Amino acid sequence: MNSLRVARAAARIHPSKFIAPLQRRSYADAVSDKIKLTLALPHQSIYKSTDVVQVNISAESGDMGILANHVPSIEQLKPGLVEIIEESGGSKQYFLSGGFAIVQPGSQLSINAVEGFPLDDFSADAVRSQITEAQKIAGGSGSEQDIAEAKIELEVLESLQASLK
Amino acid sequence: MAFAWKASGLTYNRYLAITARVVRRSLKEQPRLQAERRGEMELRFAKWEKSKQGENKNLAEVNSADMAEHAGKE
Repeated sequence: MNSLRVARAAARIHPSKFIAPLQRRSYADAVSDKIKLTLALPHQSIYKSTDVVQVNISAESGDMGILANHVPSIEQLKPGLVEIIEESGGSKQYFLSGGFAIVQPGSQLSINAVEGFPLDDFSADAVRSQITEAQKIAGGSGSEQDIAEAKIELEVLESLQASLK
Repeated sequence: MAFAWKASGLTYNRYLAITARVVRRSLKEQPRLQAERRGEMELRFAKWEKSKQGENKNLAEVNSADMAEHAGKE
């Protein structure tokens, strides 16, 4: 009996509650669908808190596309391509040597890398000649450290060669 | 995640330096000449003992020798 009265009282309160300002959106609180991207190298900032639509990165945990309102996370980058889809709809590609991508709350993305260049700056011939050289060292009888370094170089060069195609 | 470079005793710092170096070497002539200057390190250090300066050593060489010594120990 008592619960019935409560239910009726609730029904009486409810309608008026919903007539009140019906989730009006003003310009200020409209949620942005852009990411603020900062792409920084030790010697240069390629992007400085610039609004972009999407960023595709190749992280150690897998390739991923980052849009606005992405869950905050920290990703270690593989030597590989980062693709940035800009507001105008065009896209830009940079090859990064390795670093970190940090997604912060509020659609902020910071990418830090040691070296990063647009693909036009690379020479396919230089990549090819370095691959043969690194393969020789990796398969040779040098010190363990030399072999490890050659294997790292091979990984970078193969990723670079795949991006250049 | 197990990284091959870690197993061979390299530090993450060294790994990054190698990837950056190979990226710089893959550039076309013009941007490469500009970029390769960034990879050079001239830091030297000396250990002082009993108010005497020890041998002057190149930091990069000592570091890489030290990493080679620790290779495969982890």
